[in-house]
Amino acid sequence: MTKADTIFKEFREHSVAEFFKKNRQMLGYSGKIRSLTTIVHEYVTNGLDACEEAGILPDIYVRIEQLGNEHYRVTVQDNGPGIPKTHVGKVFAQMLAGTKFHRFIQQRGQQGIGASGCTMYSQITTGKPTKIVTSPQKGKIYECEVMFDVKRNRPLISGEVEYPGDMQGTKIIAEFKDVTFNWSDYGPAEYLRRTAVANPHAKITFVAPDKQRFVYERAVHVLPKKPKPSKPHPKGITVDDLLDYAHHAKARTIKSFLTQTFDRMSSAKADEIEKLTSIDFKRKPDSVTWRDAEEIVDAIKKTKFLAPNTSNLYPMGEKQIEKAILNVLEPEFHAVRTRSPSVYRGGVPFIVEVGIAYGGKAGKGNGDSAKTEVMRFANRAPLLFDAGGDVITKVVNEIDWKRYGMRKLDDVPATIIVNVTSTYIPYTSAGKQAIADIDEIHKEVALALMEVGRSVGSYIRREARKGEKQAKRKTLLKYVPEVAGAVAKLTGDSKKELEVKLLDMINRKYAAGQMGDGPEEERDG
Amino acid sequence: MPKKKATPKDKEVSSKLTELGKEIAEEIKEGKPPAFKMPVRSLSNIHFNEKKQQLELGKTYSKRSFMNVAHARKFMQTMLVAAWVRNELVDEGITTSLRDMYYALKRTIPGTKENTVEEQSESDPIVVDIETMLDVLREELHLNADVRGRVVGNVVIKDRGDTVDWSKLGSGGWSIPSNVENIEFKSVDADYILLIEKNAAFERLHEDKFWVDQNCILMTSQGQAARGVRRLANRLSVEHKVPLYIFTDGDAYGWYIYSVIKWGSMNLAHVSNRLGTSNAKFLGLTMTDIEHYGLDNYTIKAKDIDLKRARELKEYPWFQAPEWQREIDKMIKSKKKAELEALSSKGLRFITETYLPEKIGKKDFLP
Repeated sequence: MTKADTIFKEFREHSVAEFFKKNRQMLGYSGKIRSLTTIVHEYVTNGLDACEEAGILPDIYVRIEQLGNEHYRVTVQDNGPGIPKTHVGKVFAQMLAGTKFHRFIQQRGQQGIGASGCTMYSQITTGKPTKIVTSPQKGKIYECEVMFDVKRNRPLISGEVEYPGDMQGTKIIAEFKDVTFNWSDYGPAEYLRRTAVANPHAKITFVAPDKQRFVYERAVHVLPKKPKPSKPHPKGITVDDLLDYAHHAKARTIKSFLTQTFDRMSSAKADEIEKLTSIDFKRKPDSVTWRDAEEIVDAIKKTKFLAPNTSNLYPMGEKQIEKAILNVLEPEFHAVRTRSPSVYRGGVPFIVEVGIAYGGKAGKGNGDSAKTEVMRFANRAPLLFDAGGDVITKVVNEIDWKRYGMRKLDDVPATIIVNVTSTYIPYTSAGKQAIADIDEIHKEVALALMEVGRSVGSYIRREARKGEKQAKRKTLLKYVPEVAGAVAKLTGDSKKELEVKLLDMINRKYAAGQMGDGPEEERDG
Repeated sequence: MPKKKATPKDKEVSSKLTELGKEIAEEIKEGKPPAFKMPVRSLSNIHFNEKKQQLELGKTYSKRSFMNVAHARKFMQTMLVAAWVRNELVDEGITTSLRDMYYALKRTIPGTKENTVEEQSESDPIVVDIETMLDVLREELHLNADVRGRVVGNVVIKDRGDTVDWSKLGSGGWSIPSNVENIEFKSVDADYILLIEKNAAFERLHEDKFWVDQNCILMTSQGQAARGVRRLANRLSVEHKVPLYIFTDGDAYGWYIYSVIKWGSMNLAHVSNRLGTSNAKFLGLTMTDIEHYGLDNYTIKAKDIDLKRARELKEYPWFQAPEWQREIDKMIKSKKKAELEALSSKGLRFITETYLPEKIGKKDFLP
């Protein structure tokens, strides 16, 4: 064995564990609370995706048990299609093996670290394997324990058992140390609450370490449509991307490469671009040089294109957001809005959806001490961290909420929900917890929030007016017996008669149905 | 209906209160918001009538409506006071104090934590409202104001059937009641009435038998004159044509006591014609007296608030006489004020033997 071989061997032996350890911050394993949230997120996301792909309405069960100081057991079970025996190892113990990597498609998950990251984290903190129970076939249950074989960088499966039984889906049981559970906005409980808001088609059950049980019932009985992969829009392309695409293209000419690869690139458009460049579009695409690519990108900038095809974007939709809000937050009032698709950087389509829930269980805390909370979502996945750098936070802080009847935004029992749907979410960092402040997205979020703000504003003002009228009515009502009694004493009239007349007068002026405020019914019991 | 000893005035007041109730009841039955009008009592609606030399209420009225939330409570209280005053006082021939009325009316409104009246300061103005609205005196509503003030002199009166001789009441004199409407003057023998602000000066003059020597009526208001004192001075002066001289400290507060006795007060502008005695004269203590009698060493330095008040008085239309303007200017300029007691610096009997006889003899008064 040569010296180089030895070095290389050493390197490989440690690579996976080293890679994980060095990059754990980037991958969501920074901090004890965040790590636990990341674990829950990875398992739940896998469960939701598996169910949706198989056309099953998800029913996700999550349990967190405390075993010791900073030592927890996490159990997540879904009702999905199960995992074939041969795939279990890949899913749970192979890094960067995901199927979602680098596709131009709207997706929920993170990079291909996912469940394997959890297995690794469990292994390096407890030395224990992750237990999987799954039923890929009706009536059959397969059970095993998974670890990383660090030396060979591949899954190590042990304790395999197969037996007949009734089960649907997959159950994962894993232990973790160096993690903490708490009830903060960054903890697993809040993560699941927000996941429930963004996924009203799923039933989510959560059992906390103190045995408290939270059940978010299914509010929508239809699965969301499956997103389809789409072609990129020319306006969003960079020189490097273009070169990359061109060199991997199967087309015979540059022209056909362009029309086949890009959205909205008609043959006429390709000709138009050709005229703006010195390049012969009959050349083979793999002959494109960096300079050529620059020329083409420049020409694209000067050319007008139809807006990107947005049929591959699947927002939650106003009805679903509404149902989710009603289901989880039970507000007094809510308003939702899904904006029309828009485009940033000229070529990436996105849709902004917002909802505001006011009163009820909306907001942080309860009753009079309730404070406003902002729930951020990217393609339905809750974003819990890095709120400060997020475009949504910035816009929420910029809006003059006083105009919408919310004097001090912090002290209002309201939940503001913003979901950005896109084939490519521009995150501020690899942690994928904050959406970058891009002008077009900023503007769309602002417009959407102002629209729902107006609805909430008029509701709050209407309620305030009603409250005032009620207060006036009550003030007058309490004096009626006194006035009627005194006048009756002076005149000898019947006190009762005067009372009835006065009550009638007050009711005519202030009572229900006489507000002229539209169809809204009086709530007063 | 009035039950016992109902005077014609009682009958009139009783029916005025009933009328108010009937108007309100009528509006209620017709489904109209019940409301009543009354003259505005703020400064903007108080005018000085040059001809009558009296403060008067102007013609501005305000409407108090039950259906207006801002008025509702006061409306309720007005009705409570009106009904109680008519039923319990006027018709029963009973007179009582404002404080009694407050306790009689105060109770918790059923189903609330609110009282019909919380403080006496809430029920007192309601009485004034009814006075102005119905043009009746508080005393005619059988409600007494503060009792303050005493009087001595060669006067015999009949009060509630008793004959009282003001010259035979020893050191105390006759205590002036709140309601002097029904007092009957049997005999009045006096050249003038001397109304003194301070009780101490009254005691001095009474002990020195000043009123016997001078053949006058001696009266003290013991501070700002109560309604009884003002009405009594008014009746004596008007009904028996006895001049009225006012003797107060030489400062803005003394001048205002004079002002209220002569022209009427802003609070009670609606009854100036009965409480104000427009031919009253200001005897002293004047700034000129201080110079003339050499009292300069016994003056007190005027405080900012004294000067401020003096400047206010200087602007009042009823203080525009040149004599008063001079008097006020002197005080503002010298920044000095003097109490009646300053005269004692010249000897305890100086006031009885020298000062008053000289002033009255020379008719050295301010108008």
